[in-house]
Amino acid sequence: MIVLVGLNHKTAPLAVRERLFAGCQGEVNLLAELLVIEGVREILHLSTCNRFELVASVDETSKAVEALKSFLAKYGSLSNDEASSCLYGYRDDEAIKHLFRVTSSLDSLVMGEAQILGQVKDAYRQALMLNATGIALNRLMHRAFRTAKRVRTETGIAANPVSVSFAAVELAKKIFGTLFGKKILIIGAGEMAELTCTHLIGNGAEDIIVANRSLAQAELLAEKYHGRAIGLTALDEALCDADIVISSTGAPSHIVTQDMVRQCLRKRKNRLLFLVDIAVPRDIDHAADSIENVYLYNIDNLQDIVDENVKNRRREALKAEEIIKEEVAQYANWLKELKAVPTIVSLRGKAEGIVSAELEKARSWMGNLENTDREKVEALMNSIVNKILHAPVAVMKEESVEFNSKDIVAAARQLFRLDD
Amino acid sequence: MTSLEVNLFALALTCCALATVGYLLSLLVKKVVLAKRSTWILAGGALFLTFSLLVGAANSSGWVNFGSRHFLSIYAWTIAGIYLGLQFKTKTRLLGAFIAPIILLFLIAAAGQESDKNLVPPQWQGWLTTFHLVLAIAGEALFVLASAAGAMFMIQNNLLKNKKPGKMGRLLPSLSDLDWINHLGLLWGFPLLTLGMMGGAVYAAFVWGGFWPADPKVIWSFAIWIVYGFLLHQRLAIGWKGSRMAVLSCSAFLLFLLSALVIRYCFSTVHNFI
Repeated sequence: MIVLVGLNHKTAPLAVRERLFAGCQGEVNLLAELLVIEGVREILHLSTCNRFELVASVDETSKAVEALKSFLAKYGSLSNDEASSCLYGYRDDEAIKHLFRVTSSLDSLVMGEAQILGQVKDAYRQALMLNATGIALNRLMHRAFRTAKRVRTETGIAANPVSVSFAAVELAKKIFGTLFGKKILIIGAGEMAELTCTHLIGNGAEDIIVANRSLAQAELLAEKYHGRAIGLTALDEALCDADIVISSTGAPSHIVTQDMVRQCLRKRKNRLLFLVDIAVPRDIDHAADSIENVYLYNIDNLQDIVDENVKNRRREALKAEEIIKEEVAQYANWLKELKAVPTIVSLRGKAEGIVSAELEKARSWMGNLENTDREKVEALMNSIVNKILHAPVAVMKEESVEFNSKDIVAAARQLFRLDD
Repeated sequence: MTSLEVNLFALALTCCALATVGYLLSLLVKKVVLAKRSTWILAGGALFLTFSLLVGAANSSGWVNFGSRHFLSIYAWTIAGIYLGLQFKTKTRLLGAFIAPIILLFLIAAAGQESDKNLVPPQWQGWLTTFHLVLAIAGEALFVLASAAGAMFMIQNNLLKNKKPGKMGRLLPSLSDLDWINHLGLLWGFPLLTLGMMGGAVYAAFVWGGFWPADPKVIWSFAIWIVYGFLLHQRLAIGWKGSRMAVLSCSAFLLFLLSALVIRYCFSTVHNFI
């Protein structure tokens, strides 16, 4: 049986998450300590900046959930109130579903982000190294990764950017195709401009020019990106050079006018120009957008794109939930089948034991047979045994999926005297 | 005409029809993966068409038999070849949604034609006629490509200018790639067409004793040649790029199409292949 206990950004404030994170990080043998808890067979812990969760295969769910909750409360020094409001505990299908949703990034702060899958993989790898997982969790985690992959490829949940800076990068790609070798001009120095610039560089843009009223400040930023700094007086010339312009100054009026853009376009022989104006009030005269081959986006235009993409992700999330439902059902069935497995194994073992004992007894007369004939007799015996066992094994598996298999397993153990 | 040639042609036609449906579907459902598959199907079709043409050439008297089917097939083959070649360089799979229907139209027109008639009279056939026709076809095929890229540029430009790129904007190729294809189409199409037309003129001088036969096709072609020459000049010398070139090359293509139709239905000409 699977349980999941923990807290995340939706249930716990940062201060609580920090405490739990710090408490458990100091503990080297966290998994070993968790395995000691009564009824816990296999366990792994996932800790990211947004969540701290324990996933375990246990003997008895309600006891285990309580035990794991108090473990977390102790390590995070959580008060009773905090523990009851922040910690959640899921059992069986709910736990599996939650894990699959987390791995598929449906439960993330930014839905569809790619990092979480890597973090879950790391958590699993760590548990694997410490031998803290077994058959149930191994299968569970592989299912979780498979689900995440399906969600990623079969839905568009991660397809479109949901941050203003990434939206700008996507637009730049739609204009220029590749960003390799493209020149960026940053006017002013805001956090958003820097972030966008970092993303553009990450996608191949190379040459950075930083323009600022204060040259010293421009130099500081330019140094960071290995670019060059200029004053605002040299802006005209830089405009002719750049392919992508990101502007975010605090200036009260337009820094880049329509005429400036028109002039520079003539000089740059009408090469495409992408202007991103994330300043409020706007730095670039909006009339510049009417010029051919100039694409001007302000903060509202970018935000509209982001909003549209967020809506799309929500729509895609509905498809993802269906995939998760399917995968949860498949894993839950397998887990139920697992209950009958020890009985099936002992049944087969017993049958094989009988076959070899009988063969041993018959050795005296079988000695007269040719080798090939003897092999045929052995094969015949095995085949008869397999055919007889096929029906009870199949029924046990079916029963464990459909109903609780306890009765039929007990009956099989009694009928075949497996406990003698 | 052998049954092998017919079968290969039928296969090419089927592949091209499938690819066209695939490309148009990919526009409809907005999934680029369909366009990628369609590109492979189109490549298969182009391969079948190549074999069909080779078999046809092997069985005919000259190395190119300018019967109507061959003429139109070579047209389709050239457009497909250039488009597929470009796919190695750019990520413009969706351009196929504009190119594949044109190829399909050529192939359907070709299928309706008699295969063994040769519209170039035997006394005119020779390497110079072949040179003239092949280069003129290649030049025009490149213009078709340039115009298709221009048309797609106009759509993408419109989406980006209206700040609503949406799913369609993400699906269509980037402006730079489309502009580059337009540039390439003009840059290579124009000299090829020029050489092709010069070949024709030299041939006319030999056969008819004058460079300038008063043939409507020749006069129209010259007009189109001047228009494309003007476009190329503006691109290279003046630096026109992007949306203006896209609009102009689309208009030039419409003019070209109109001229072909007018000549076909209103005039008698020695260039009556279609």
